[in-house]
Amino acid sequence: MTLKTKLLATTSAFLIASTGALYADGHATHPETGETLASDQTFTYRVGDESPSIDPGLVEDTDGADVVRDLFEGLYNQDAEGNLVPGVALSHEASDDGLVYTFTLRDNAKWSNGDPVTAGDFVYAWQRAASPELASPYSWYVELMSIENGAAVIAGDIDPSELGVTAVDDTTLEVRLSQPLPYFAQMVTHGTTFPVHQATVEEYGSDWVLPENMVSNGAYVLTEFVPQEKLVRERNPMYWDNENTILDTVTKLVVLDENVALTRYLAGEMDRTIVPAGQFPRLSEEFPDQAVSVPRACSYYYMFNLRDAAPEELQNADVRKALSLAVDRDIIVENVLAGGQEPAYTFTHWATAGFETPDIPMASMTQADRNAMAQELLAGAGYGPDNPLSIDLVYNTNESHKAVAIAISQMWKQTLGVETTLANQEWQTFLEARGNGDFDVARGGWCADYNEASTFLDLMQSESGYNDSKYVNAEVDGLLAEAKTSDNPQANYDRVEEFIAQDTPIIPIYHYASVYMYAETLEGWPYENFEQNWYSKDLYRIAE
Amino acid sequence: MLSFVFRRLAVAIPTLLILVILSFVLMYSAPGGPFNSERPLPPEVLANIEAKYGLDQPFWKQIVNYVIGVVTQFDFGPSFQYKDRSVNDVIAQGFPVTLTYGFWSFVVAVSVGVSLGVAAAIKQNTWLDYLAVGVSIGAQVLPNFVMAPILLLVFTLWLGWLPGGGWEGGQWNYLIMPVIALSTSYMASIARITRSSMLEVLNTNFIRTARAKGLPMRRVIWRHAMKPAILPVLSYLGPAFVGMITGSVIIDVFFSTGGIGQFFVNSAFNRDYSVIMGITILVGALTILFNLLVDILYAWIDPKIRY
Repeated sequence: MTLKTKLLATTSAFLIASTGALYADGHATHPETGETLASDQTFTYRVGDESPSIDPGLVEDTDGADVVRDLFEGLYNQDAEGNLVPGVALSHEASDDGLVYTFTLRDNAKWSNGDPVTAGDFVYAWQRAASPELASPYSWYVELMSIENGAAVIAGDIDPSELGVTAVDDTTLEVRLSQPLPYFAQMVTHGTTFPVHQATVEEYGSDWVLPENMVSNGAYVLTEFVPQEKLVRERNPMYWDNENTILDTVTKLVVLDENVALTRYLAGEMDRTIVPAGQFPRLSEEFPDQAVSVPRACSYYYMFNLRDAAPEELQNADVRKALSLAVDRDIIVENVLAGGQEPAYTFTHWATAGFETPDIPMASMTQADRNAMAQELLAGAGYGPDNPLSIDLVYNTNESHKAVAIAISQMWKQTLGVETTLANQEWQTFLEARGNGDFDVARGGWCADYNEASTFLDLMQSESGYNDSKYVNAEVDGLLAEAKTSDNPQANYDRVEEFIAQDTPIIPIYHYASVYMYAETLEGWPYENFEQNWYSKDLYRIAE
Repeated sequence: MLSFVFRRLAVAIPTLLILVILSFVLMYSAPGGPFNSERPLPPEVLANIEAKYGLDQPFWKQIVNYVIGVVTQFDFGPSFQYKDRSVNDVIAQGFPVTLTYGFWSFVVAVSVGVSLGVAAAIKQNTWLDYLAVGVSIGAQVLPNFVMAPILLLVFTLWLGWLPGGGWEGGQWNYLIMPVIALSTSYMASIARITRSSMLEVLNTNFIRTARAKGLPMRRVIWRHAMKPAILPVLSYLGPAFVGMITGSVIIDVFFSTGGIGQFFVNSAFNRDYSVIMGITILVGALTILFNLLVDILYAWIDPKIRY
């Protein structure tokens, strides 16, 4: 199979490239690029909050996943473009019916205490992740991977040992699926599938993640962990590819306030921090080599409440479309956010793999034409200066959401004479109100779970738990169901996006960008990896 | 006196119990819950989690189990948000941090505040008085969430003298900015209270008598005026001390100190019920304790007060 060939090719490229590099020496050069490396190989970065957990079985947020990818290594890793490269597994083969995957593991992978990493460690970790005893909020991931008996194990109906994963021998892992899943191999780069050291977990219980107890198999080991302050990891001498790891120490600092973090970044205390909203133009002018904006796999949108109990005027698709047309996305991305975001006319993020943005008529119109069309549609629906439309718009408390809401309410007011009442709610209150349909128009933001258009469009399924609009369209459901098994689902996605533009259950507003400051000497950051899955072992610092 | 202390301690227990019950009810009546998120968990996953944390039990049973756990084993339960930690871990890690910078802030606020207040009162209507009043009003109107970023800008970015945040086990250079930011407004209040109460005492007959006897001013102030003048300050210090050592979310947010204030506020946003309860009880107990201490100090300083 092609993936296998590719993985083998990458491995050999790796081995050839890594010969003759010396990192201990301050004048060492990077084995591939030949750049002179700095003698101080440290990387310090900022996160906004403490992660709920750094236990691979429990990890649920992206910051936590970043740590887990350094401390542990799964079957496969991703390279700078997001392609699969060998991790603990060297290759795999899938059976003809696509139901059995057999992974061949390397025999030189070791835990930080010297024990070999075996297929049994994966079996234990996967059974643990699914078990009701651990009660992981991410246990559903095992079900999402379609592993045989996954759902029944999570529900507690059968013992975790019945999960469809077996160690044939120490270096052969067999996984049985309940249905073929074309992207199964891509899913094993997620922390939930990483191995854990059974003896350590059983000895220390939930305390096994403390630095003094943890045994891990990644390129780094945990050396310091003070919640809400910092987490330090240092290179793992037992890691099978340690000689090609360049960074020695990686530190995660928890700094809640973005502006404080920026001040500390500018003072040289850290090498990566987020750019606060609105500051990108100034910073990219002042520090062109440091301020970087790359697409981020999330879409920002407003949703209409289409429930029967919701206000009648919003049940009219023309009214909804008029409101969508009147939103000048260019002003939002260029003047309000100014961080390299892209105006959105489709729900699916433009940079999603294998997705080509379909031609939505609205996208190619000028804003003047859109406004004219909006006025016409709204007048046709019976609203105008004599009978103004009034709407309640609710968003979760956040300065940036507020700025967008104010701008849009002004656009609606000026173009359509719509009276908008803005309300912000604290996050949990907001989620409850939105889930219960207690709104007219509500803010939404959706980030891709995986790099494929269905991660966005599945929200439009009538029965989706995330479809807070309660948009119901049998044709859309049919198209999305068909796309699951189709070799070329793009045509279906085009049709669904057209439905979204026509029926306007939501107003796509912009596609996110991730805007960060990176120290000039930091190299190897995977800007091209759309999921922004980075591995410290691939980063390095060059001499100034 | 002893019976007074026992009486107060006896009242403290039902007070704390009421605090627990009220907090429990308020907490549960807030919308959402610890395991709600934008992506609702599948029901079977949620059921597992609720069973693990005992949230599948009836409400009254949760309170009873909680109180029993706290009373018999001093166990505040697992954190719902930080799944690798228990509430005891959270408090054990965050409280010493808060206690350290809170204690030093208290020392700074009291020593500087009282000195400023006394100096201003003695030299009333001189430049020293105006300066002291000016400083304390300035410190009072400059809230710590404005002060903190200014300190950072000056001492970290421009001068590069101090680290911009972190704790590192409480090394002195990590302590300076948090202490300044936290102590200033307390210091200002203490200075104002001291000044006005000192002025009042200096105008009383017994002070006039002391001065008429020819006692030196220093002796008059320290020996005779200080004790009565400090009483109003003392009643302010009890709650102020508790306020400082139980954490300031502003300090934790701006200086990444990892103190308890940040855990407290985050726990409310995350609906991390057990952490909310743990810290509420801690703050409640400390408030009761320090109010009691202030009352005892009162009796010790002012012989007119007897319990």
